[in-house]
Amino acid sequence: MPARGWMAARLVELLEWPHGLARLAAAACSVCALAVLVYEVPHTVSTLGDEAGANAALSLADREIGGGNSIVIDQAAAYESRALIPADATFRVVIGPNLKGATSLTVPAASAWFSYFLMPRRQAGGAPWVICYGCDTSKLGHYRELWHDDNGISIGMVA
Amino acid sequence: MTVRAILGLVVLNGFVLAVGGTVLFAVRGWRTWGELARLVGLAYLVGVGACGCLWVAELVVGVPFTAATVVVTGLALAAVAVGIGWRLGRRLPPRPRPALPHWRLTTALFAASTVVLLEALFRAGRLRALFEYDAWAFWVPKAKAIYFFHGLDEHFFSTLPGPSYPPLPPALEAASFQFMGRADEVTLHLQFWFLFAGFVAAVVGLLSRRVPPLLLWPPLLLALVAPQAIGRVLQPQADLLLDEFVGGAALLVALWILDRERWQLVSATILLAGAMVTKREGFLLAACLLVAALAATVRDRRSWPGLAIAGLLAFLPSVPWRIWFETHGLSSDAPEAGGTGLFHHFDRAWPSLELTLRVLFTYDLWLLVAPLAVLAVAAAFLAGRAALAVYAGLVLVFGVAGFTWITWSFPSLPITENPALNPVIRSVGALVIISAGLVPLLLASAWGREQA
Repeated sequence: MPARGWMAARLVELLEWPHGLARLAAAACSVCALAVLVYEVPHTVSTLGDEAGANAALSLADREIGGGNSIVIDQAAAYESRALIPADATFRVVIGPNLKGATSLTVPAASAWFSYFLMPRRQAGGAPWVICYGCDTSKLGHYRELWHDDNGISIGMVA
Repeated sequence: MTVRAILGLVVLNGFVLAVGGTVLFAVRGWRTWGELARLVGLAYLVGVGACGCLWVAELVVGVPFTAATVVVTGLALAAVAVGIGWRLGRRLPPRPRPALPHWRLTTALFAASTVVLLEALFRAGRLRALFEYDAWAFWVPKAKAIYFFHGLDEHFFSTLPGPSYPPLPPALEAASFQFMGRADEVTLHLQFWFLFAGFVAAVVGLLSRRVPPLLLWPPLLLALVAPQAIGRVLQPQADLLLDEFVGGAALLVALWILDRERWQLVSATILLAGAMVTKREGFLLAACLLVAALAATVRDRRSWPGLAIAGLLAFLPSVPWRIWFETHGLSSDAPEAGGTGLFHHFDRAWPSLELTLRVLFTYDLWLLVAPLAVLAVAAAFLAGRAALAVYAGLVLVFGVAGFTWITWSFPSLPITENPALNPVIRSVGALVIISAGLVPLLLASAWGREQA
């Protein structure tokens, strides 16, 4: 059979040392990659589509606060601090024991997250603006509270 | 999150592409407009690298970083590039005649798959929130600091984590904010979509004339859809940008080993310079590429001075930043274990190597990219393409050794795959992205269809 003869010739050619084997290896690489792609490309496109849907379903606040959602406890605290503290002012985040609803990330990451979220406002040690996360306000000096919530979070100024 | 912000990104990236096009005009020129279209991805990456290096230098010397700075810098670079190109005798090709591209069915199918993938990525990035710790903890705050204060604000750059990390990514993000009109951390994700699309276009453009489509697209797409690669595309961090610079440079150096065309090495130099002002690992990966290239060209040592000069020129743009962070007392980026300290932690050597290899060969992270890369190197070697095979093989070996060294030399890093504790998964991604360009070239060489 001519077809069988042609295939046999191709097979011999592919097993020929060393160039045939090199071609066989190259073909094997391409075939393996193709076989994986048959599943992976549609799967990836589908996953990205799901992600796009989930992103679109986020509220404006959830989207803007992003990673802070697992840190700040109360989104209002983020927005109130941005509204109250002037853009050229300095602030500090003081964390204390009177906090309700804290996650495992709140205490270690709240200060860093507010630094990011409130820019161009700068954090400074003795800053007049205080974001109090369950802190003991009596230790702050003359603290004028401008906003608070039920979780022990407040925003105010130290005179 | 607005159309205006997206349009701003389109304008910025179009501008960077145009600047990169002029740089490409200086270093190689083009015979037809079709050739320029084919190399549009490379022009974009070169534009990002060249503009990024200049932005870093401007930030260090205190030039106020505004939209005007970005535009003037780009225009100045373009003017110099066009002048150099003109003096070198480059000229614009004649006006193109309208013609449909002659694509094979396989090329069209793979290209369509890539477009679908990119479109899905764009939609996923369009309204994405900023969740990644490193992004909101220091990469984006640094960008916001540059945006709000028009420079390297010492307060933020000294107090944020990673103070010594090079500032190209924050500068690029700050430029994005400038063109978007505000510090829009949501739409910022799309800037990284442009970079990814540019990298894909660069690899395809560099290889489409010399690699058959069935050997080009499958390994390329495989590397791109690997879960850890595709999952990082939209993250506003430095990792994938570094990988894209190094991946492009690795391919250009491979092509230079085959062709010895100067423009390939010059373009690779610009991308390596970009890599070194993107992330500290850029130095390590650039050294891997250049030493591998030296070894691969050992029989033709006349090419060594060229490689040495390329390495030196690529290093120079990172010097101003290093001077800045040293003189401002920012914490050092040297390995914790130091030089001889490695031997005090010799017990970490094997576990670090084992971790790097295990991560690189884990299917759930990178699919079959690493095994196929090894097979492709062996195939090219069998086919007698020793220089290319030695180069690609050594890039992989040196890369593995380098990432082993990172875990080994930082005793505070636990030997774990946990990405929150050890960056090894992000690091080895560079080898996967490098493979995206090298493997198709290796396969074509093994097949005997790669044309010099």
